[in-house]
Amino acid sequence: MSFSSQIFRSPEYTSFRCNVPLKQIILDDTGANKGWRVYDTGPRSVETPLVFLHAVSGRAEVFFKQLLTLSSKGYRVISAENPPYWSVTEWCEGFMQLLDHMDIKQVHLFGASLGGFLAQKFVEFSTIVHQPRVVSLFLCNSFTDTSIFKYKDAAVLFWILPAMVLRKMVLSNLSSRETFYDTQIMDSIDFIVELIESLSQADLASRLTMNCLNSRVNTSLMRGLKSVTLMDVFDDYALGSPIKEKIYQEYPDAKLAQLKSGGNFPYLSRSDEVNLHLQIHLRKYDGTPFSASDNIPITE
Amino acid sequence: MATRKKVLLKVIILGDSSVGKTSLMNQYVNKKFTNQYKATIGADFLTKEVMVDDRIVTMQIWDTAGQERFQSLGVAFYRGADCCVLVFDVTSPGSFKSLDGWRDEFLIQASPSDPDHFPFVVLGNKVDLDNRAVSTKRAQQWCQSKNGLPYFETSAKEAVNVEQAFKTIARNALAQESDVELYNEFPDQIKLDGGSSDNRSSGGDNCAC
Repeated sequence: MSFSSQIFRSPEYTSFRCNVPLKQIILDDTGANKGWRVYDTGPRSVETPLVFLHAVSGRAEVFFKQLLTLSSKGYRVISAENPPYWSVTEWCEGFMQLLDHMDIKQVHLFGASLGGFLAQKFVEFSTIVHQPRVVSLFLCNSFTDTSIFKYKDAAVLFWILPAMVLRKMVLSNLSSRETFYDTQIMDSIDFIVELIESLSQADLASRLTMNCLNSRVNTSLMRGLKSVTLMDVFDDYALGSPIKEKIYQEYPDAKLAQLKSGGNFPYLSRSDEVNLHLQIHLRKYDGTPFSASDNIPITE
Repeated sequence: MATRKKVLLKVIILGDSSVGKTSLMNQYVNKKFTNQYKATIGADFLTKEVMVDDRIVTMQIWDTAGQERFQSLGVAFYRGADCCVLVFDVTSPGSFKSLDGWRDEFLIQASPSDPDHFPFVVLGNKVDLDNRAVSTKRAQQWCQSKNGLPYFETSAKEAVNVEQAFKTIARNALAQESDVELYNEFPDQIKLDGGSSDNRSSGGDNCAC
């Protein structure tokens, strides 16, 4: 497959693909499961890494700019892309197994859109099974309730739809490239569109099913969670303003990392600002048992 | 009717270490003051929603490390700044002399499109202390020499003039932000009726398939 978008051809992306190995982690031996795709960067000695979870339209590669920058600053950063899971609970069980497999007891989670929803559900899940694991959440353009999506009645049928139709559903959620006059945002959309092309029917159908089946986050079931940062953009993106207000209400103590612009994928289009906010989010844990880096905190 | 676009204003506070940048921000946003000094590492920010001339705006106020060795976070926080607040300590002539340097630093790092008219606001902090060393007149003269920058004498400790200063900061920042939009090479699309703009931006609710 030949890729042509700016980001695919950039030296930065090439360097990422040349230097960071992609790991396929298969957790069951049924053969049907093609496994998690994982990039694990930064010092392996760090026990509380930051794990990135992608949106419906995303793959593990979408966070390469965060992985490159933060790992160079001493953070252990992991991007994890799930194999098809057809329910949020299945996903949570699978993610728990992945963490066990990687010998990770506690994590900071970055979740973009659906990834952010799953991250919140995982905090709940790990609380319910009495193994609270999530130290902090960084949610980017995310939501707390799937009822915002109009497909909830059709969601049970997604598994049967052909890949082409599913792809079109995903793409229709991205504001068309022409509504942005910002080259970095346009590049981020091009990159995502190319990544979506490489997803299988099962990937697309299962992600859309999780995204649209009725489910909401219960913030009262979040034991062990120490801090939350909410990131969103002030320009157009797929989710609108009422959804932002809702998530602000759910986390009244959260730090609000708002960006003037950035579109749906600020981690690609505004990576330096996102990386700055991530460092601010993680820095308070430096030197504590929850640190995501091996940095010694600067003191006076 | 289409609602007015929400605005995020980015404000950056600069000045020597221990002039009270963090305290001013905390006093304004949280109405709190502590005498205990803790150096800021890198940069941090607080957010506050305020009304400026009937518009609700979100102010994102960035507090940066005064000490160079803590400035480790790169220049991303300068990007898109709408107003820069220069702070000195009225009991420290050195911190006043540094204002030129901080102003230059900002203009270099943020490189605003119209540096001569970029909104700066100058705050002489710690007026509650007795050992004052920089006179009002001297500070005002400096502000005059830079195209007449607004100048406030503040006390973060006793909440003197803090609210007023930030009101001016917000208003000038909003004017700057609107200016940027005016000069934007590609203005927003002209929408002929209020309804169609919603159809365009929220593709998730009305996909054609």
